[in-house]
Parts: sequence; C-alpha cells; structure tokens
Amino acid sequence: MNNHLRRLRELRSWSQGDLAEQLEVSRQTINAIETGKYDPSLPLAFRIAKLFRQPIEAIFEPGKE
Amino acid sequence: MARDNRRSYDLRIMLAMVVYVVVFMSVWPTVRSTSEPLVKLACALAPVPPLLYVLWVMALRILRSDELQQRTHLIGLGVATLVVSIVSIVAGFLAAAELLALDTTSIILVWIFPLLIIVYSVARGYAARRYGGSALCDDDERMPAWQRFAFGAGVSLFLAAFVFLRSGGNPAVDVIVAMALVQIIAAIFFRLRYVRAQRRPPP
Repeated sequence: MNNHLRRLRELRSWSQGDLAEQLEVSRQTINAIETGKYDPSLPLAFRIAKLFRQPIEAIFEPGKE
Repeated sequence: MARDNRRSYDLRIMLAMVVYVVVFMSVWPTVRSTSEPLVKLACALAPVPPLLYVLWVMALRILRSDELQQRTHLIGLGVATLVVSIVSIVAGFLAAAELLALDTTSIILVWIFPLLIIVYSVARGYAARRYGGSALCDDDERMPAWQRFAFGAGVSLFLAAFVFLRSGGNPAVDVIVAMALVQIIAAIFFRLRYVRAQRRPPP
C-alpha cells in the first residue's frame, strides 16, 4: 500500500514526533508507515484521515498486486 | 492508547533486577544450610516476587504499546516461546535418559526465564529493525542502550565480587565476569553509536 503521509505531514511542517504525539503512537510507527514498511490498521488509518481532514483513499492507495 | 513512559520502565526493570540479585545473594545460601521446611520454602521462593514484578511491568508496557510495537512484541514472544520450548524438551529428554544429573536439570530450569527474556529481546529488536526502527530503540523516550548495558555490567561485577568473597574459586565467578565484560564491550559500542546518532539531524 502506498501513502501520502510524509507529504501531508511536511505540508504542515510537523516532525514525525509531532504527528506521533497527535496520533498517540510511537515515532517509529510513523516512520514505518511513511516508508511503506508497515500498513496501519483501519482504526489508525481513520485517525490519520480525521487528523488531516481527508478521506482515507486520498491518503492511502493500493500498491501493485 | 497512551504510551508508557519508557525511561520509567527501564528504571523499574533495573530496580527489580537489583532487588532480585540482592535477595538471591542474601537468602539463597540459607536454602541448603537450613533443615526447617518452611524456612527452606520461604528462602527458595524469595527471588520470585521481583521476577513477578518484572513480568507485571512488561505486561503493562505491552498493553500500552501502539499497534506496531504490539506486533513486534508478539513476534519476540513467539520466537522466545519456540526457542525455550525446544530447549526445555531437549533438556527433559536428556534428564529422562539420565544423561543430565538432577543438579544440572535444576540449573537449566533456573535459566529458562533469563533465556526467554534474552531471546524475546533479541527477536523483538530484530523485528523492530525490519520495520525501520532501531534494534535497541534508542530514542528520546528511552534510556540509551549504552546506559542499560553499563548498568548490567555494574550489577554483574557486583554479583561476581559477592560470589568471589563468599566462595573463592567458584567457577560461577568466571561466567559472571565474562558476562560483565560482554556488557562493557556492548556499552562502549552503543555509546559510540549513540554519540554518532546525536550528531545527525532529526528526520
């Protein structure tokens, strides 16, 4: 799965630590999502979408099958 | 879910380790010298409460972790369970075949818990690294790895000195000193890595 989390975060000039704090997860988790090493659960994806005020599909998109 | 205070977690684990070592060293020698069954039972089980406290703190930490951290904990616990199960069953077969003396078997049983914790830590560190984290989680939330290893070396040297003063040429002293040396080398390695990481700009 691909995502635009890093771009959205940088648009708001947030560090990974800032975003992690708002989502109540660790900085490592944000880093793993941004680098595509970890796909978040649906509840966390919804929290991310709510924080950035965007639909989930605007942030996450399916990768190559 | 709120994140645990990792520095406080490290301190609590270290404090429990110190209590465990002190209780073990001060009470355990009485186990074999006393003939009173209740005193023997109390002395034999005296090191257990600090270990239960460690398990409780670890359980709280896992409960308060986020979803990726919980996944790495699960991987670590899964690998540790497999390794410890294999070691236990091999030791069990050897003991049943009378290839291991009863004394050796009890020593193996005492080492099951430390083995579980060591394999769990290594496997969890490896899993965290696969997800792009640090194997030893050196970040602002946690006590740096070099400090943890330095503390471990201090405890090991203290233990070695105690055993040496109590029973002179006990072979356990060599093992404990070797453990301390490994921890000192690890502390120096992680200190150098920590200094280098501090110089890099944050992401």
